[in-house]
Amino acid sequence: MSFSLNEIEATAKRATRGAGYAWGVAEEAAKATRWLCAQDVDGAAELARLLEYGFAGAVTGHIPAGTQGDWSGPGTLCPLMTGALLSDRSDLLHAGPIRIRQLAAPMMLLPFAAHAARNQGSVVTVTCGDFSAATDGAQLAVANDCPAHADHVEIALGGPLTAPRARQTRATPDPAAWKTLNRFAHRTFAPATEESRLLGAGAGLSDND
Amino acid sequence: MTSPSPDIDRRDPATVMRLSRLGSLHQCRLSFMRQLTRRMAAENWVFSRPVFDIDDNGVGHAVYTAQGPDHAYSLVAFAHDLPPEQRSDRVIAEAWDATFALFDGIPTADDIERLSQNVPLQEAGRVSEAELSLSRANRSVRLWAHVVDRLAAGQQPDLEQIYAVGYLMRTTAVYGSGKFGAADREKTADRPETNGPFQAEMLSVYLTRVFVRDLVQHMARAKGGEKTAQLDPEIANWLGIGNSTGLGMAPFIVNHPILFNNWIMAREEAIARVRALATATEADVARFRDVFRRSELSVSWWRSEHPIQIEKLTALTADLRAISDHLDQADLTQDRPWNRLILWSQTALSQEGQELLASLILEPYGDLVDGLAGCMADSNSAAHVIDGAMPVKAVRDLLRSSFGWALDLDWDAPEHCARAWYVSEEKLEPRLGERFDEPIAEYEQPLAPARDAALAHKALTGWAEDTPIAEFLLRHPEHRHTVRRAQMSRVAPYGEIRDNTIGADVLPIDMLRAKLSFFGATHFDPRSDRWVRICMYAGAPYPEDLTSETADLWVYPELLQ
Repeated sequence: MSFSLNEIEATAKRATRGAGYAWGVAEEAAKATRWLCAQDVDGAAELARLLEYGFAGAVTGHIPAGTQGDWSGPGTLCPLMTGALLSDRSDLLHAGPIRIRQLAAPMMLLPFAAHAARNQGSVVTVTCGDFSAATDGAQLAVANDCPAHADHVEIALGGPLTAPRARQTRATPDPAAWKTLNRFAHRTFAPATEESRLLGAGAGLSDND
Repeated sequence: MTSPSPDIDRRDPATVMRLSRLGSLHQCRLSFMRQLTRRMAAENWVFSRPVFDIDDNGVGHAVYTAQGPDHAYSLVAFAHDLPPEQRSDRVIAEAWDATFALFDGIPTADDIERLSQNVPLQEAGRVSEAELSLSRANRSVRLWAHVVDRLAAGQQPDLEQIYAVGYLMRTTAVYGSGKFGAADREKTADRPETNGPFQAEMLSVYLTRVFVRDLVQHMARAKGGEKTAQLDPEIANWLGIGNSTGLGMAPFIVNHPILFNNWIMAREEAIARVRALATATEADVARFRDVFRRSELSVSWWRSEHPIQIEKLTALTADLRAISDHLDQADLTQDRPWNRLILWSQTALSQEGQELLASLILEPYGDLVDGLAGCMADSNSAAHVIDGAMPVKAVRDLLRSSFGWALDLDWDAPEHCARAWYVSEEKLEPRLGERFDEPIAEYEQPLAPARDAALAHKALTGWAEDTPIAEFLLRHPEHRHTVRRAQMSRVAPYGEIRDNTIGADVLPIDMLRAKLSFFGATHFDPRSDRWVRICMYAGAPYPEDLTSETADLWVYPELLQ
């Protein structure tokens, strides 16, 4: 079944919030997931895998300690939080490549590298091991497979952007991942009660006027 | 034409963006319905009805096609036989009198078959990238029965009943922008005819009105046979398509600050341009006096039983008398006449009258104002990206600029946070609940920007003013949403409501009216503090009568001669 990118974004936002992240981070995840899908990557699957790590419950354990030197934290880094920092401080790339240690779901970092690319008006290259990706913000090119977990990721300004992926206007997420996202999203919906049904919204239950 | 001089500013957002004023907005030249009708007339759109396959019980389907210069759009309409006990305007309804999809192009038989399996299910079905909009409508039971019975008996319906209700059917949701599988806005955003806000949805409702007229005629003929009367075209003209809007729409203006800013700013710019005119011609003044007189007529027919609206209508009626008296003596040709009129209104009239006048002064100046419609979409796709290098001091200043009034409020006091917006698991219906009386606080949606700005501002205490905000956000992700909004306000000075959206006395209908006024709605009829009925396209020409002469001022009624 194909979905609009708006549906992807809306579900991703609710799912990320349902997993315990702040709304502002959920917004980042939503745009990031949408961007990946537009680049013909199953962003929903990447997000579902990330949310199942359960980082949001103790998020301070999964963020970089700072931006001096290699970016690392007490535990495995969350790509949403790390990506947000990358996007927020993309200016730091001018001083040299940014190195990130112990990052989960590195594919989720790419949309934030895209922000950095747009902000700095440059291609940004992301490498971990054999995997490399390049983006100018609008397009994405990847080489080889991205691991589910990276010991070491390097982000740098510049690099070629060859054979970018075909842009998509629809998404066909892996059904199991979509189910996972909806399960998380469901946590943001208040249970329906009779009282809430009668008072919470407008109109009657029978409008025969 | 006198060119405007630059020293009349747009009105201060602190004045404009108050909920009571937003809840008093009136349609104007820039409204989305009129943008559409003007375009379709100017571009000579061609309308046809390739299919009308409806039985004597009113069950079946029809297709209405609108052909523009480069693209065709088709309303695929399904008519149903709905048992009365199932008729509800709520999101949680599961069956309707009529269901619709706006197809991008001209549908094949296969498309129609696919749509027939899904469109009647609405949220429970799926549409595709070939569909731009999904909607549904219910009858006004009283008026429908009256019109069918009269026509079947060879008579015309009673005008008083027509005026009293104003529509035969009302839409209860019109979905676009990728919902339920429909095409994302990006698919059509670059086409001239759909670049403006909600143009596909406005077209869908325009065609729905044609369908409803045809359907009621069809049902009358099924009942009355040969003696059935044809609905008088002038009566058909009075009829609009109603709309029932609830809380689903209220979050929109909070969730789309840049888009909403663009609408408001376009109107404020239009108002400033007209106010800046040094003189007005006799023809311009005549046009203004004409639409004012017609507005008086329109307001005289505006009915509501809701105490809030009754009070507003009493004030508006008094405003109209004051305006009328003032116009009797005013010279509207010299000495920045429109500016003098607006300045006078700021102390002489209620907000309803002030905003009506602000809209009316635009009417003679299509050349000056209509081009601003091109600024009302939101194409700023990068505005949501946070600038992490911005120093703490700059963020504090931005928060203060939009929400200075909110920073010292006691946000824990019950009257200030009594309400919470949430989404019910029941068909994902947006609801507004009582925070202290219901177990909803943990499900609260981020629809309280003022409270959140106060919290963020407080959390920034003690941070060195030149620290990059990224450092604060790393430690405090809970404020990321609010900092993003604060930065967006740099490009969207009219993007924030300068009022408390979770207070004990917040009126969601103020938020609904603001958006609906940009649609071009009139005769707002609140049914509660969170539900409003309106009428769309009442007075508008049907496709066969759509010309540049009829395409614009139809919203201002004239008495039948």
